[in-house]
Amino acid sequence: MSDIVATNQTILVVGGGISGMTAALEAAEVGKQVIVIEKTPSVGGRVTKLYKYFPKLCFPTCGLEINQRRMAANKNITVLTMAEVTDLQGEAGNYTATVKISPRYVNSNCTACGACGDAVEAEFDNEHNYNMDKHKGAYLAHDMAMPKRYVLEPGMIGTDDAQKAKDACKFDAIDLDMQEETLELKAGAVIWATGWRPFDAAKIQPYGYDRIDNVITSVEFERLMDPKGPTGGKLVRPSDGKEAKNVAFIQCAGSRDRNYLKHCSRICCMASLKQSTYVSEKFGDDANVSIYYIDIRAIDRFDNFYQKVQDDKNVTFIKSKVANIVENKENGNPTLKGVDTEGYHRYETEHDLVVLAIGMEPSVDKNTFPIEIKVNDEGFIEQDEANGGVFAAGCSSDALDVNRAVQSATASALRAIQVINKVAQAEG
Amino acid sequence: MADEMKIGAYICNGCGIGDRLDSGQLEMTATRDGKAAVCQQSDFLCSEAGVKMIQDDIDNEGVNHVVIAACSRRAKIEAFSFENVTLSRANLREGVIWVRPDEDDQRETTQEMADDYIRMACAESKYMKVPAASGQQEVNKNILIAGGGVSGMTAAIEASKAGYPCTIVEKTAALGGATAQLYKKIPTKAPYADPQDNGIAEMVATIEADSNITVCLNSTLTKTAGAPGRFEADISTESGSTETKSFGAIVQASGFTPYDANNLTEFSYSKSQDVITQAELEALAIAADGGAIKRPSDGKEVTNVMFIQCAGQRSKKEGHLEHCSGYCCSASIKQAMYFKDQNPDIDTTVLYSDLRTPGAGGENFYRSGQKKGIIFTKGIASEVVHSKNPIVKFKDLILDEEVEDEVDLVVLATGMVANAGEPTREQITIAENEAKEAGNEYTVSVESILNLDYRQGKDMPHMDNGFADSHFICFPYETQRTGMYAAGPTRRPMDIGQSMDDAMGAAMKAIAAAENAGLGKAAHPRVADLSFPTARLEGCTQCKRCTVECPFGAIDEDEKGFPQFNESRCRRCGTCMGACPVRVISFDNYSIDTVGQQLKAVDIPEEFDEKPRILVLACENDAYPALDMAAQNKMDYSAFTRVIPVRCLGSVSLSWITDSMNSGYDGIILMGCPSGDDYQCHFVKGSGTAQERMSKVADTLETLSLEPERVQTYEISITESDKVVKIINDMADTIEQIGMSPFKF
Amino acid sequence: MTDINTGMVEKYRNDFLKEVEANVEEGDWVKMCMQCGVCSGSCPLGSDWDHPPQELFMMIRAGKRDEVLQSTSMWMCTSCYNCIVRCPRELPITHIMHGLAHYATRLGIEPKNQPTRQFAQLFWDNLAKNGRVNELWLGVNLYFMNGFVNGIKVALGMAGIGLGMLKTGRLSLKELVGGHTVKDKKGFQAMIKKAQELEAARIDN
Repeated sequence: MSDIVATNQTILVVGGGISGMTAALEAAEVGKQVIVIEKTPSVGGRVTKLYKYFPKLCFPTCGLEINQRRMAANKNITVLTMAEVTDLQGEAGNYTATVKISPRYVNSNCTACGACGDAVEAEFDNEHNYNMDKHKGAYLAHDMAMPKRYVLEPGMIGTDDAQKAKDACKFDAIDLDMQEETLELKAGAVIWATGWRPFDAAKIQPYGYDRIDNVITSVEFERLMDPKGPTGGKLVRPSDGKEAKNVAFIQCAGSRDRNYLKHCSRICCMASLKQSTYVSEKFGDDANVSIYYIDIRAIDRFDNFYQKVQDDKNVTFIKSKVANIVENKENGNPTLKGVDTEGYHRYETEHDLVVLAIGMEPSVDKNTFPIEIKVNDEGFIEQDEANGGVFAAGCSSDALDVNRAVQSATASALRAIQVINKVAQAEG
Repeated sequence: MADEMKIGAYICNGCGIGDRLDSGQLEMTATRDGKAAVCQQSDFLCSEAGVKMIQDDIDNEGVNHVVIAACSRRAKIEAFSFENVTLSRANLREGVIWVRPDEDDQRETTQEMADDYIRMACAESKYMKVPAASGQQEVNKNILIAGGGVSGMTAAIEASKAGYPCTIVEKTAALGGATAQLYKKIPTKAPYADPQDNGIAEMVATIEADSNITVCLNSTLTKTAGAPGRFEADISTESGSTETKSFGAIVQASGFTPYDANNLTEFSYSKSQDVITQAELEALAIAADGGAIKRPSDGKEVTNVMFIQCAGQRSKKEGHLEHCSGYCCSASIKQAMYFKDQNPDIDTTVLYSDLRTPGAGGENFYRSGQKKGIIFTKGIASEVVHSKNPIVKFKDLILDEEVEDEVDLVVLATGMVANAGEPTREQITIAENEAKEAGNEYTVSVESILNLDYRQGKDMPHMDNGFADSHFICFPYETQRTGMYAAGPTRRPMDIGQSMDDAMGAAMKAIAAAENAGLGKAAHPRVADLSFPTARLEGCTQCKRCTVECPFGAIDEDEKGFPQFNESRCRRCGTCMGACPVRVISFDNYSIDTVGQQLKAVDIPEEFDEKPRILVLACENDAYPALDMAAQNKMDYSAFTRVIPVRCLGSVSLSWITDSMNSGYDGIILMGCPSGDDYQCHFVKGSGTAQERMSKVADTLETLSLEPERVQTYEISITESDKVVKIINDMADTIEQIGMSPFKF
Repeated sequence: MTDINTGMVEKYRNDFLKEVEANVEEGDWVKMCMQCGVCSGSCPLGSDWDHPPQELFMMIRAGKRDEVLQSTSMWMCTSCYNCIVRCPRELPITHIMHGLAHYATRLGIEPKNQPTRQFAQLFWDNLAKNGRVNELWLGVNLYFMNGFVNGIKVALGMAGIGLGMLKTGRLSLKELVGGHTVKDKKGFQAMIKKAQELEAARIDN
């Protein structure tokens, strides 16, 4: 790690999701030196956990393949995984970042042959599938994980399994003595692309996410559809594995609500519309989808997609924020109670499965940024001169969908380049 | 490369390859069949030592064509990256041992698979050259910006800040565009509570003070020729003078035209002066300048105003806009605030069906509007009756009743129509034919923005709803015209804040295009690829298929009809190569031969060996990764399969199909990306074009008395590992049923 | 129509929302409702309401003055606070419901026979007298709310419970005469009077 060259003309990109990758690539492809700091073992971020994108219903891994290939081929980019920025000092043109790197216990010798994974027994919660299943203690986060290098669960270190993994490796790639490292990196500009996390659904008490098996979140539902998800791509509900044909989507689960997130998370309406097509795709005319909403925010060209879903006679829209959910103990069905406000109709409806269109909150709590930065009440970074050479990209700047996040990231690359070019000019 | 070709083949025995395959045999195949001058083995080829071994041979032994027989070309890219040599990869791991069961009775066919992949990689290597830029280009840092509205100005200011001189070409007499016509704008900063100054004066002052930015007012682009790095633009003024300037790249920020509210007869727009559009309300607000807003008909101070959202939008009705314009909800809130801020007693009602104010700023602004007393009514307006005071008839969807409301003023939130210029020549032809069938005549009714001299049309192609072309999700700036980037509402409906962000992004892409074009490097998605297509024109029959089928309009024709390749417009997909019936188009490292010789290098057993051969031509972007991931998950497919990755299915030459049929392959599978409106092809139309070509293959097969089932084309997404395996195994079953090809020697 | 009612109609030129904002407790929150309906769905007595809160808010904005003020709906509120807790826009719905009921009463156009309204009036009259609730009289008045004959019937029906309460000392017959009061009854009454004057003055403004 000590051979990383970072100067005042280096751009530090914090976060290696779709926004961070885009920002890094755009800057690197015009010749700038970029270091990407990614907290997890692989780049790609949230989009790797999506089954499909709206509105084209294409697969996120398709664009990821291109971006990863661009990154692998570009010598201007250094990616540090399992790394976090713990401190950031300085001003535009002259930053010093302290970066903590957690041990992966696997070095660059790894060929991803999988022998260590086969050798170990212990299983751990699979974060890639939102902990709905387990993975081995030596694992690749997912099939397309980049870097394509295994990771050992810290919880396995010191156990026999860890030794088994080490013994199975023919390439001396496993280093059980790997220690946490701290680096100091110089940078001229910083692109902050730490993205978002799903709001904690358990906090929405009336919806019983923590009590009712068949109430899940939209991000979890996305994993159900994925052939590599916890159900192997089957749309079945958690309680009894029954096919989920009658599915309710609850919009603004956590969003537009002063009790939780004040802002509108923008993506959730489109996500539910998209997910309604999953149910139709799986069950055809047996599908029965209800979408409970306040306003359907299918903005701009997305409205065409909304219109397409509206034409599906198996999808019903109810203007209502669901009041509460109780479980029918006999069949495990969640029962939704509330009022359809279009004309005042009270309902009490059972569904096989309830999907909470969960809100988006910034990954970094607003009081924990390592440097003083202008953050709004919602926790998103404001574009402001006072931020100096730190620029937000993607969902750290607002609740954005992928195409807007990429747009924002591309813009942030230019902002960073403006600073770097100024430094270069000054340094001659 | 002046030096003699010297192939070095390097066989890895790691990851189980050595256990499963006879490496001695592989080495013999490489040297004997593959004509590798040097062949070495390693137990761990991607290790530092392994890589050094190869580099040493390059440095000391004169190896200039490297063949790596190890894992997939998608693995260990960083390790196996050598300068100034060609690189071929024989995929023994994901392509052979991981897709075959480790059983004794399978050893022979598995070994044959591996041997073939070595032969194929060597054959490819033999016909590859190290790509080098043509050297035609130099870096031209000047950026042309079409449109001087808020998007164009932002692009200019920001690109200039990064050191790139910009020229803004603005049709009207002033900078500012639609934003300059606004009294105030939707807030772009926390707390997002009040309308904000439109900011135009400040931007104009910045531009005027910046010597790096040239502004051409009252000007249009009357001709844009050339390619990224060497665009030549004719900038003509109203008075008729024309200046030609050269540019590296283009940002198209041509904005939007407000939807023509005269189409909305139900809302009495053309009858009543007091039914106006949002744009017209801005003019009234500017005239009032903070005082009471007066209505047009009689100058009465407005005390009661109704905003009708989605007027002529989100509707499939003839003449309406199908899309949502995205900004109008916030715009109506802002405009209602004009009234409320001046006099809180004025009644302002926003009649909406879905209030769309996303993000943190949007929701705060909505709440602020409510706090100021704006009434939001969920309802659908059916009619505005023209009378002294307009009467709005609507259905209140919450109270479930029909309502009539008499107001002083009605404001229609009509949407954005993109100023995206002319459709492409292809699109025009389709429209002309459709019109002809209906007995009408079609004329292009819009002005061109760029006036490109491309044979494919004067502007970028349009996508749905008339917006300028964009891939839209992962790569929102990518268009079908290289080095040109749409920004702002010409790309998709958006408000000012978003347009400014968008324009910065577009400026970034333009800068990248200019820089990379100067170095002879490709733009997205084969970024930094130095190879480019060349044609042996003496063999060309001027059939024009390459120019027609190029998804990016990269090829022009000279007077005689010969293709003229524009290196920097090209995305290196090879669709032209696939189109060419006489096989004269090639890239240094990708040609008819690099693939054609691979498929010929495969050992085709005699008919009675009962070992069929299935050729898979797989798109390297999606199908090939899908195959890799099938391997990673240890799914088995037929040992008779030989996979060749292609840049795009569009690059597949029919000659490969006929050659392989003639040489005795029993089945051919083509795997490309999904095509159509929601295409996933990274080269937009490549896979669709290939499918069209393949639909004609059946006839050819018939003339050869071959069953049509032997050649199949599929659309594959990257996640569909299950599907690729099934397709291959189904083909194996089919061959078992219909029998081996009669064309074996 | 009462005078004050007519006065209000004129004063607000039919702009009912403004009237509510000025006169109803927490009335200026009404405009903040975004019609999600979570209050309506969360109300335990919801199914008994003609118009649930969110609909009342929309009716206020639509100027349906009589329908709102004469509605029995807000009298159904039991102050369980479910709606307040769940309202995504922070509206103090419970308070608004009581505010509306109270305002309708002040205007004299409240639904006269609505039982909760009647009970509320009895309770207030009882309390305002001595500063303490006289449970015995409250019970008696409640029983005889709908006339003497009906009152006897109800009283007989409840006799068992009443006797039981007497036996266990939870009810005292002494309360029939005078009953217990707050320490400074005069002061209490003066305080109430002053408050009412202030309130009346506020409304007149």
